[in-house]
Amino acid sequence: MLGRLWRRLKLLVGLDRATRDLEEEMRLHCELRAEQLRAQGIANPDAQARRQFGNATRIAEESRDTWLWPSLDALRQDARVTVRGLRRSPAFTAGVMVTFALGVGANAAMFSLIDRMMLRPPALMRDPANVHRAYMYRSMDGVETGTGGQYARNADIARWTSASFSAVAMHATQELAVGVGQDAREMRIGVVSANFFGFFDAPPAAGRYFDAAEDGPPSGAPVAVLSHATWQSQYGGRQDAIGSTVQIGAVVYTIIGVAAEGFVGLWPLRPPAAFIPVSTYAASSLGPKWQTTYGSSFGLGSIARRKPGVSVDAASADLSRALVQSYRAEGRSDASLAELRPRALAASVLLERGPDASEVARVATWLGGVAIIVLLIACANVASLLLARALSKRREVAVRLALGVSRTRLLTQLLTESMVLAVAGSLLGVLVAAWMSATMSAAFLPGVERFSVAGDPRTLAFIGIITVVVGAFTGGLPLLQTRRFALTDDLKAGARAGTYRQSRTRSALLILQGALSLVLLVGAGLFVRSLRNVRDVRLGFDADSVLVVALKMRDVKLDSAQNLELRLRLVAAARTVPGVMHASLQMQAPFGGMTSWPIAVAGIDSVRKLGQFEFNGVSPDYFATMGTRILRGRPFESSDLGGARRVLVISEAMGKVLWPGEDPLEKCVRIGIPPDTAPCRYVVGIAEDIHARSFGPQTRNFYYYLPAAQWHQQREGGLFVRAAGGTHGSIEPLRRRLQEEMPGTSYVTVSRLGALVENQSRSWVMGATVFTAFGALALVLAAVGLYSVIAYNVAQRRQELAVRVALGAAMGDVMRLVVGEGLRFAVTGAAVGGAIAIVAAPRIAPLLFNQSPRDPVVFGAVTGALLVVAVLASIVPAIRGARVDPNAALRAD
Amino acid sequence: MREEIPPGTLDMLILKTVSWRKELHGFEIAESIRATSGDVFVVEEGSLYPALQRLLVRGWVVGEWGRTPDNRRARYYHVTALGKRQLERSLESYNRVTRAIADILDPSPSRV
Repeated sequence: MLGRLWRRLKLLVGLDRATRDLEEEMRLHCELRAEQLRAQGIANPDAQARRQFGNATRIAEESRDTWLWPSLDALRQDARVTVRGLRRSPAFTAGVMVTFALGVGANAAMFSLIDRMMLRPPALMRDPANVHRAYMYRSMDGVETGTGGQYARNADIARWTSASFSAVAMHATQELAVGVGQDAREMRIGVVSANFFGFFDAPPAAGRYFDAAEDGPPSGAPVAVLSHATWQSQYGGRQDAIGSTVQIGAVVYTIIGVAAEGFVGLWPLRPPAAFIPVSTYAASSLGPKWQTTYGSSFGLGSIARRKPGVSVDAASADLSRALVQSYRAEGRSDASLAELRPRALAASVLLERGPDASEVARVATWLGGVAIIVLLIACANVASLLLARALSKRREVAVRLALGVSRTRLLTQLLTESMVLAVAGSLLGVLVAAWMSATMSAAFLPGVERFSVAGDPRTLAFIGIITVVVGAFTGGLPLLQTRRFALTDDLKAGARAGTYRQSRTRSALLILQGALSLVLLVGAGLFVRSLRNVRDVRLGFDADSVLVVALKMRDVKLDSAQNLELRLRLVAAARTVPGVMHASLQMQAPFGGMTSWPIAVAGIDSVRKLGQFEFNGVSPDYFATMGTRILRGRPFESSDLGGARRVLVISEAMGKVLWPGEDPLEKCVRIGIPPDTAPCRYVVGIAEDIHARSFGPQTRNFYYYLPAAQWHQQREGGLFVRAAGGTHGSIEPLRRRLQEEMPGTSYVTVSRLGALVENQSRSWVMGATVFTAFGALALVLAAVGLYSVIAYNVAQRRQELAVRVALGAAMGDVMRLVVGEGLRFAVTGAAVGGAIAIVAAPRIAPLLFNQSPRDPVVFGAVTGALLVVAVLASIVPAIRGARVDPNAALRAD
Repeated sequence: MREEIPPGTLDMLILKTVSWRKELHGFEIAESIRATSGDVFVVEEGSLYPALQRLLVRGWVVGEWGRTPDNRRARYYHVTALGKRQLERSLESYNRVTRAIADILDPSPSRV
């Protein structure tokens, strides 16, 4: 067997020599036969011998077929012929390659994005199919919300689900300052339980991981594991990094190990720099009662490995039971539990595949579909071009068939052409994909580590698969056409003699392109209008002019009064920075989470049932800083101090819901636990409503403001600063000035409030930009497709048009004829596409904002654009057709 | 009377012819088969050369360039050891088949 392979290889390697040998051998045979015939006295022996011998080319070909991989030899030959042919028509080749490159590149870029978000299991995880994220829910006032970020809760879950899960590990990420002094940098830190590492096939690259003894009472050990990347970049991969210490957040940790190379936990897009024990972090941030504190969440979650034989539903039920038990352990009564209705769910370990998938992921999935449509259009285009080529080569093909080239060979040759083009286009597509994914991740996934496309085997495999599919598809269509070649007709006629026939396949492809382009453009239009609607929403504050200052207290512990005093000092300091117009205290930033306290109002049994009332503790300059308008009454004044009359400012909607039909000014609101016995605070002002959670209508969220000086809880909070003329330039001077006021190793961070808002509108920005880009691409491709078909048809009809001109048709008549043909395609395409878009529209509705998915304005504009483009694409060939010189055209060929 | 060469036997006939005459080139193989079969079998060139290539690839024959008596370049084929074994195998199975066919066509009473 091996010998046979070797001999074949030898033949193939020396292909030219082997071919020469065979030819010489056959020539000799022919000569000897001729001599024999001559000796027998037969007339014209040479011709006779040749006739007897038969078709030498065919025999040679068949002989060579036995050299195995007959196809391989043929392929080599076909590829050579193809490349030669393609080099002869560089414009065609370049056009097809660019078309493929754009189609393949768009798909590869979307794939690599979607793959990383929703398909790829966490790197190095063992058997990820059986690992689940635990999701917990509870109801408040009949509205179910997610919960379960607390240490105590996750510890309970882990303890009480051992029937279903072989292991339950806790995980969270925190942005913490690493290092001290000038070198301190905020980094992402993985806060995980000791058994988290056991979910992965990832032995430490150096040292060891922390164990259960280091991750438990009384407070967890101060030990940390570096990521491999951090070890390399910060410590140069040195062994003596192990045993050294590093301050992370408020605690000084000893580095005991380095995680495996490529280990990123659950966070491939933004890998943590280091991993610390969850109990150490919980103890340092929650205080001595960290193990039983059910009230404080720090975004903790659990992953669990399901035992063999336990169904996902059974595991979810077990989780729910454990959650109920946990609420009992917390001391909730049966009545309270009946209201809370705790529920838990075991879902995919991939966040974006679970119930908490982000809008960006959902839009990205849509855009993946859009990219496939772009590829379809590109394929239709190329198929149509190849078809035109195949048709124009009819005579050549017929001649070759007559000469004895086997039909299969001929067909493979056509397929080879499309494959060669697909491969070349895909190679170019890798570059396009790299560029597109860099652009997209910079725009839509800020802060995400740059991920490579060209170096990623999964993306490359994907590109390989679509290359084959695309090559087979585009080559296959002309193949169907070739099958119908009638040998004699083509030999006789070629493409001449008024045989203008429209290829039905080409027409169908063209209509398909038009239809798909229209669908994409409708999508683009809907997203662009959604984005405009989002931008038009009056948020109730000027996000673009405001900076958010956050305080990061490390070793310093301040009480409420000290915290307030420090922040007032910072407000004063901020005002001295050039360009700063206003500065105010704040406790929360919109879109960054708000605080709610129980409130009571005379005459209402349960205020809580009306919705969620959230507040901010601010200083007098707040409303000027944020640009929030005071509609009635007054803003806070510097006299609204601790000992003074207690006051509050409410939002317009809050006034309407609490005192419908009455004037809210000077009404009493009690805030506290329990609220009924808390002192009265009097409404002194009514501010416009703000959006602090979403852009949509907020029917159950109400906001109010308290003077920071009149609120006793001041552990949290920072500043808002309004800067003149753009916020970017003010960030660094402000940060430096404020840093001077910070005690110890504490520090401040300054960021744009606009960034928080942009996070919320990202999915629409992404939808609008990518949809528009892809839609425009589709339109261009469709226009090129239309142009090439019309131009081809005009070339085919040269004689017919010449006759018309000779008979006296005016230039306008001919142009109308040709442009009319183009328009007919476009109208049919638009009709088909419009129908598809109308049917599909409701599916995209949830991703839009205040936008009907069947908006006639969008449909109208897009159809108009398509028709205009169709006219433009057919006008150039039309002019060429009208300028046909009848004399030359009728004599040609 | 000419007859078609029974399907599947061409390789065997070529091997037998070449091994019997030690070394032959293509034309001689065709002529030899024709002559030995008493003009019953004529090997078409269209089957001969693909078959020779097949035998070459399988390693049953090797070809060497030499000179004909009138000093023309020709490729002479020899049967290899591997080819001889293959020939024996196919002869055996061929004989079994012909015996079986003969038995069916002319059942001898002693064996019934």
